[in-house]
Amino acid sequence: MDGDTGDIDGIRAQAQQALRGRCSDAEVAAAKRLVLQLRNQRDYALMAQLAEALARRDPDDATNRRLHAQCLIETGQVTPAIELLRSLSRRLRKDDPEFAEVTGLLGRAWKQIFFDAGDKAGAGAREALRRAIDAYRGQYERDPAANTWHGVNLLALLTRARMLGMRVAADLDPQAIAREVVAALQATPEDRRDAWFLPTLAEASLALGDWTAIEDNLRRYVAAPDAKAFQIASTLRQFSQVWDLESDERGRALVDLLRARLLRLEQGELRLSPGQVQRLREQPPPEAGRPEAVLGVYGAQTYQWWRTGIERAASVAAIRQKLGGRAGTGFAVRAGDLGREPADELLLLTNFHVVNASGAHGALRPEEAEVAFEAADPGRIYGVAQILWSSPVDRHDAALLRLDPPLQAIRPLPIAAALPALDDGAQVYIIGHPGGRDLAFSFQDNELLDHEGPPQGRPQIPGVVRLHYRAPTEGGSSGSPVFNSRLWQVIGLHHFGGKLGVHRLNGKEGTYGANEGIAMQSIVAAMRN
Amino acid sequence: MAHVTFIHGIANKPPEADLLRIWREALANAADPLPLGDYGVTSSLVYWADLLYEKPDPDIAAHEGVLENTAAAVDGGGGDEPPTPRSERERAFLEALRRHLTTLSDAEIDAGPPPVPASPQGTLERVPLPWFLKKPIMNALLRDVHHYLFDVEFAPPGKTPVRIQQAIRRRFVDKLGAPTVTRPHVVVSHSMGTVIAYDCLKRVPACPLVDGLITLGSPLGLDEIQDQLRPEWSRDDGFPRARVGDGWTNVFDRLDPVCGFDPEFGNDFRDRGAEVVRDVAVSNDGAWRHSITKYLRQPAVTGELRRMLGL
Repeated sequence: MDGDTGDIDGIRAQAQQALRGRCSDAEVAAAKRLVLQLRNQRDYALMAQLAEALARRDPDDATNRRLHAQCLIETGQVTPAIELLRSLSRRLRKDDPEFAEVTGLLGRAWKQIFFDAGDKAGAGAREALRRAIDAYRGQYERDPAANTWHGVNLLALLTRARMLGMRVAADLDPQAIAREVVAALQATPEDRRDAWFLPTLAEASLALGDWTAIEDNLRRYVAAPDAKAFQIASTLRQFSQVWDLESDERGRALVDLLRARLLRLEQGELRLSPGQVQRLREQPPPEAGRPEAVLGVYGAQTYQWWRTGIERAASVAAIRQKLGGRAGTGFAVRAGDLGREPADELLLLTNFHVVNASGAHGALRPEEAEVAFEAADPGRIYGVAQILWSSPVDRHDAALLRLDPPLQAIRPLPIAAALPALDDGAQVYIIGHPGGRDLAFSFQDNELLDHEGPPQGRPQIPGVVRLHYRAPTEGGSSGSPVFNSRLWQVIGLHHFGGKLGVHRLNGKEGTYGANEGIAMQSIVAAMRN
Repeated sequence: MAHVTFIHGIANKPPEADLLRIWREALANAADPLPLGDYGVTSSLVYWADLLYEKPDPDIAAHEGVLENTAAAVDGGGGDEPPTPRSERERAFLEALRRHLTTLSDAEIDAGPPPVPASPQGTLERVPLPWFLKKPIMNALLRDVHHYLFDVEFAPPGKTPVRIQQAIRRRFVDKLGAPTVTRPHVVVSHSMGTVIAYDCLKRVPACPLVDGLITLGSPLGLDEIQDQLRPEWSRDDGFPRARVGDGWTNVFDRLDPVCGFDPEFGNDFRDRGAEVVRDVAVSNDGAWRHSITKYLRQPAVTGELRRMLGL
């Protein structure tokens, strides 16, 4: 189920090339491997394009069709995925290795319909759950030792069905299946254990209530240096949605750890609704020493980092048009941190092109805008009382707002004293409302590419220090805070995103695809002047 | 802005960029985290393993300080043989250095060592690891220190021979003087890296100034090594005052066998007779106390580095 993974830029470039050119048979074979690599990197848009192109060239390639169906599921197009998978399962022989994958994915599609349903007890949801169970069961019973992932999904859904009081597959005993799956996994020789071994074992242990095994296997899974975003996201979905692990105090830390690990991975974007952030913030902290005991030193640090990120999210606001949708993002700052008085006043910083006095550049005028900290206090709506300071789009693209009523009970975000060093692997994180959707943590390709700050930077616009980073921001992210990677301090104000052909900084020749932010310290310096 | 220059110790290492990342990660994941990059602190590494080893160690995970199951994971990677002395002076040096590491002969080690209580504090006998891991450590230490201090002309297979001390000194001086280095500038050295850092800061006139020096798990307290640093070194005037501005902090674990029986420097590196080096004892975890990542995760180390960098 795994494919080689490598540098995401390289994979994308190869995929784009494969889409553009006429391909030899060898190149088609290479492009098929790329589909799997794109899946592992969770680049579903490009994956769909490439799978479609390959299907036209080779419509009988079942693996490519199955991966295409997986892509459809991951992007919310579950019904066409089911049609595709049914057609595939009809034409494949039952002993074809692809048949097991296809039936498993069919189960996954029905499972998704069940979990997407608002009313889990409704007829549609129950039918989806029943079909998912049937799909996993059929394949598991064909060869229990070889199909442990079907077994563990069967187990999870049976447990869920029992919780809902559904009489489905009444002849099956989840505990017996769990024991069977654990035994089959433990009998697998070490050199044949794939990347799913540990999470599958953890999941089967969950059904047996064996917390030592659950924690041990998940800890090892998360600590693996070659963990992939796709896998961690799958495990996270399974543990949070199917098993509802967060309802248990011991399980909560494990789910948080999976989320934190996902965010640390390349392409590890995580989207959380404001309600989810609120719930996570309200969870009581674990007992002292408990994260270390359960998660190990690495896991405990990752967990603390994640908790800090969740806290920061509560200080990020949606800027909306009154009676309209979201127009951008802003964040709470302390006036004193910007050199202003009264020092303890809480203010909101956003882009000039999101809010300005004249509505220039498509911005909202103050009287048109409303602000909500949706992850902290979604019911409280603020108006914009005053624009205290602004700098136009071609300079800092910033607007400092005083809100009405005055902003209270929101923690201001800490501002970094310096831009990060441009070491190999320097990263940035953005929290915002991309595409006008729910609050999102944006962590894909979060590489800091360059900046104009010390010691090497040479700002091209006097007094304006820009930074470039690679993260998949969309419209709506404008005005988001850009954080450094460990301390969660704001280093920049996100200015524009996702553009190709951006001129490199510091007089370097050429262009690249990059997002641009304005360094907070240059905004603070401009305000002081 | 500020800059940290690291210099590594004995045995083979991963490629330079990976090793530098591992060291930075260790600081960032410390009990008192110090993510240098987030503070805008740049860093570089004086890398010299390639002068003594054929190719970098590809087992990067072994160097992260958690595993203690291979020679590479306990500073013994590279498969060194003990060096062959070229003179009586070198022979005496190697024998004396070896005595600090173990009282056992090779034959006794091979036959199975006697029970631990018979062995003196600070030797490899006290390290609860098997000898198939400890012997490579001893060989790496003897070989690497010897080749440096006696400026042996050497090349690993496939490379051009160089005078080891001269080549490493050049790298150290070049790295410290690179245009990307900003002040305050602190050198953090580990193990034999401290011997190199001290040698350059005290004895190489072209070596640039630094603002602080932090030495971790270093064998510089051993008389035999100090003797090789004369005449520039003396007990009363051993501090490299001309090139180290803000002070020198030496951190050690008493169960780290590379520091040997004499892990404290205050008395041995005085500044015009005054004790100025700040010796700090820490306790690393696990069986192998010499691990650099364990030292870097110590609050005493991150706190001292934070202070020297003015963060």
